[in-house]
This record gives sequence, structure tokens and C-alpha cells, in this order.
Amino acid sequence: MGREAILKSIKENKPDLLPIPKINADAFAEDINLKDVFKSNIALVGGNIKEIEKEAIDLEIKALYSNAKHIVSVTTKSSLGTVSVSKDTDPHNLENIDLAIVEGELGVSENGAIWVTADNSMVRALPFITNDLVIILEKEKLCLHMLQAYDNISQRDRDFGVFISGPSKTADIEQCLVVGAHGAMSLTVLLV
Amino acid sequence: MNHAEKAEVFNKDEAKVNWHDKALWYVREKRDTSAHKVQGWEYLRELGSGIKANVLSNLDEYLVQFESNAQKNGVIVHWASNAEEHNKIVGSILDKHQAKKVVKSKSMLTEECHLNPFLEKKGIEVIDTDLGERIVQLAEEPPSHIVLPAIHKTKEEVDVLFQEHLGTKPSQGNPEYLVSEARKHLRDKFLKADVAITGVNFAVADTGGFVVCTNEGNADMGVHLSKVHIACMGIEKIIPQEKHLGVFLRLLARSATGQPITTYSSHFNKPEEGKEMHIVIVDNGRTEQLSREDFRASLHCIRCGACMNTCPIYRRSGGHSYDYAIPGPIGSILSPGKDMKKHSSLPFASTLCGSCSNVCPVKINIHEQLYKWRQVIVKEQKQPIIKKSILKVAGVVLSKPNLYAIAGKSARFALKHAPKFMIYNKLNAWGKARDLPEIKNENFDEWFKKRNKDG
Repeated sequence: MGREAILKSIKENKPDLLPIPKINADAFAEDINLKDVFKSNIALVGGNIKEIEKEAIDLEIKALYSNAKHIVSVTTKSSLGTVSVSKDTDPHNLENIDLAIVEGELGVSENGAIWVTADNSMVRALPFITNDLVIILEKEKLCLHMLQAYDNISQRDRDFGVFISGPSKTADIEQCLVVGAHGAMSLTVLLV
Repeated sequence: MNHAEKAEVFNKDEAKVNWHDKALWYVREKRDTSAHKVQGWEYLRELGSGIKANVLSNLDEYLVQFESNAQKNGVIVHWASNAEEHNKIVGSILDKHQAKKVVKSKSMLTEECHLNPFLEKKGIEVIDTDLGERIVQLAEEPPSHIVLPAIHKTKEEVDVLFQEHLGTKPSQGNPEYLVSEARKHLRDKFLKADVAITGVNFAVADTGGFVVCTNEGNADMGVHLSKVHIACMGIEKIIPQEKHLGVFLRLLARSATGQPITTYSSHFNKPEEGKEMHIVIVDNGRTEQLSREDFRASLHCIRCGACMNTCPIYRRSGGHSYDYAIPGPIGSILSPGKDMKKHSSLPFASTLCGSCSNVCPVKINIHEQLYKWRQVIVKEQKQPIIKKSILKVAGVVLSKPNLYAIAGKSARFALKHAPKFMIYNKLNAWGKARDLPEIKNENFDEWFKKRNKDG
């Protein structure tokens, strides 16, 4: 239908070819403590962040989410899972999950975003449909800004991935910020 | 009704206008704070602008590249020349899956194409899932802002709407309560949906993937719970390479709301096993805009809304006064290209202060384009006789210094001594709802000469 017409019209109407600008990464260089800035940005976007030892992960989660019953853990770093999932799990069955525990691949200091892939969450819907979300991130896996982040994930197998920065939120009612819109009501990042 | 007349309606509720004005200015201030924290922010804007300029100059190649990469990933790609074709394509995908329930996340393109009424006529339930969009959908109104769709509604109005449609209890507009009720209501819709429709923030030519940004998580709740995902995008959403997302995602949320990034930036490349992913690529007037040398940079727009938040006219006239899917300064340079007659008053809804151009993350020369549209419109559209004759007289007076001096003197005399009804009447738009400033005895020229003489 429209394909040929659209392409033809673009060819006729586009300006002469302009170059793709080269990105000078030096312009964005900053001598900052990645971890400190990352932590303060997680707080800024409404998340909790704790730096703990790997061995203390389960203890910490238990203390933070003592009421959680239906827990999905898709990381070997936690054994708190009470509901097991596989790639074939129907996401509709996750409707009543209280807590999901996933690993993050990469943290971005400038905005507190954490890269979570389909592999990390097993079921794509998991980090969104769960009531509360815990992301475990190794502190070596921090980078300065989004340009570096895309460098770091450029070699991945591309199916689905999401940068998550804080819990879901909205300010659509008179600009009042309310945490907990459609996705997770809270986000805790455990930096190990 | 033209923009000024519609703005007058919005201005009847003074308290609301004042709130609207301040709320949006607050968002603008948050944008400033956020932008100033970024090392190399201005360079980032230059990069954004430069990449978009390259995109427009090579758009056909990028679209073909994007299509072929997306197809390799198992995505089904469609092309639509206009709104009608777009709606038909979406309709036929829904028919194929016998879909009756659709959840939609924010997409200004489907708004532009009037997709909802088209699908509703086919007996399909379409639920807008962004909270602000759901609010205006329940109120049977269009969004009044592209990022804050319900910014024109008070919390009390939302309260009443929810009581009527969601059966909530009166809460005097308690935002926490209303959001939690909306969450329950929409969760049910997500769980029962057959198909999810989303917009596209950026489509990457060299990977065939695309990115959708939300704060609420509504796009992901819809997509991951339904069998079919339809993503609708204008042709200008393409960027050349994935690494360029590193530029645009740094710019987008900071410019929009002052957040360092949206809560969710979701990267879709392949459909899940057993599911379908469709992309509809839409022209609908964009290639025509591409042909207009003076106006093609308007296609750089990444829909952040910063130009609206900063605009003194938008803040005091409200999004509905523009009567176009994209309101505010950017809408005022996009809309005349679509329908000059209908939108001819919009390029005049500006003080040409240039604040929009200053905050635009991709450096669109919005105020210059507004000025250029005025020149086109004055030539092609019939202007009111009063405006024409006043401008003719002004042209003569301004070209003759002596006449100008006399005119100035008599005007200052008249404004000081003439009875009120002669000054504050229909001919004087500047005297509407406000007093003119105090009239001085001398003009600037006289004042300046005297000042120099006095040392």
C-alpha cells in the first residue's frame, strides 16, 4: 500500500545528505564517584538503595518485605522464591505476585537506571506486574552515562530489555507525584 | 473558533488559569535544574539536532534498513500513507485475531489519526492506559498536553469522573486514593486485553528495534500481557544507530518533566515466542512537511512538551485552545502544514519570545518558524479588514519619521486624556482584562536625548 508512495515522496522531498555527527565523549567526561551519584539518583527517582554483602541478601530482603508471601526469585543470589517460573509461564498467573527478585546487568550513574533483560526476568512481565521489585546489582557494573551504557550492552542478544529507574509513578492528577501507578509499587536496589 | 476565542473560554476560570500557568512553569523550572546538572548539555542538544538533521536527509534509506532489520527479528512491518490507511491496518490486525479488547499506551500518532473512534465504531473496546489519558478519555475530551494529558483538570474534577465511571467513593480529590483505584481498574483491563497498542519514541535503523518510554509502566503491562503488540510510529521517529539512544534518552525526560530518565525505557526487538509484534510506519503529511525547507526541522521533534511548559501563551490559554492533537508552539508549526485554513490562527498565538526554541532539546527554531508561517498565512489566507487597514496605516507612519513623531505625540495625548470607553473597547485587544501602563509625556527618543544632555 503506502510503502512505495512514502519512500518516493521522501526521495523527492528530502534535503541533500548531511553527515551523522561524531560524538565526542570527552565533552561528557566527569570526575565523580559513580557509586555515590548512582545512590543519590536512585533516591531521587523514588527508589531505595542499600549496599550490602552478597551473603546478607536474603536477610535484607526478609527484613524489608516481611509480609511478602508470593515471591518469585529469578536469581541464584537469593533463595527466597516461593513461586517458580519458567520461560513458558503465562504472565497472567503472576497477577498476585508480592515480590520479584531479579538481577540487573548494568547501572547508570547519571540517572539511577538499571538495565534488566528478558533473561534476567525470565518472564518479560515480571518486573512490571509484581507488587514490589528488588534488583540485585554488582557494584562493579556501574557506568557514568547512557552513552557508555549503550556501549556496554551493544553486543547483547537483542530480544527485550528495559532500563528501570525507580518504582512506577504518575503525576497526572494535578501534578501530585504518586508512587505506584501500573508497575511496581516500590523498588529496592541491593548493591553487592 | 480561533485560538484567541477558545483561549477566552479557558480564561473564564481565573483561579484555574493561574494554577495551570504556575504548574507548567514549575515543570519548566524542574527541566532547568535537571539540564544544568548534565555536563555538556548544550553539546548534547547540538548532537540531538545534528542526528535528526541527518535522519531527515537520509530518511528513506533508514526506513528501509529499519524495516529489513525488524523483519529479520520476526516483526511484521506495515506502511500507511495517511490516517485512514493507518486505522485500516490496525483494524485488520485486530480482525485477524478477533480482538475485542484493546489497551493502548500513550501515542500522539493514534490521537492524530483518530484511531479510538474508528475502532469503537467496529465494536472494539479501546482503553487508554496512561492515567492522564484515561482521565480525559472518561471525560470524552482530547488530551490538552502531550506529556501531561489531563493538566487542565483539577483533582476534584477527577474525583467526580471516577465516582461516575469507576464507582469510587468521594475523596475530595485525594490523589493517592484515586491513583490506587485507577491501578485496580486498569489492571483488570491489562489482564483481559487481547491486543496492546503503543506508540514509539525512537526506532533504530541499524537494529530494527524500538524504544517506548513511560513512567507508569502501562506500555509494558499491556504489551507483555497480550498476545499481539502493535506499535505505531511516524516516519520521523527513526534514528540511525542504537548508540544514538544514548543522546536522546538523556535529553527526553529531562526536557519533559525534569526527571533524569523515565521510569521505564523499554527496548523491543523481537516478539515473545507464540506472540506477534507489528509496526505501522505512518506518513500522514510528514513527507509534505519534509518538502517545506523552512519548516522541515519541525520533524526533529521528540515530543517532550518543553516548548509548551515554557510558553507564556500556552500556559495561559490551555492545550484545548489549539484544537490540534499536538498543542503549543510545536503544534502551531506542525498544524498549518496539515490544514492551513483550520489552524491559521495558531502561528499568531505566540509572543515570538523565543523561549520555546531555547528549551527545545533538538534545537528546533520554533519561534522563527512561527514567524515564517505568519508570512505564508497572511499571503494565502484572507485577513480581517481592520487588521489589514491598521497595518497599512502603520506601514506609512513607520516609514516617515516626522509623521511617526506626530502620531506618537497625539497617541500619548489621547491615551492620557480620552474617555475610558474610547481606549478600552473592542478595537484594543491590549486593553482586554487589563489596564494599559501609565502613559509618559515623552517617547524613548526624547527621553534618551534628554538623558544624554543631562549627562
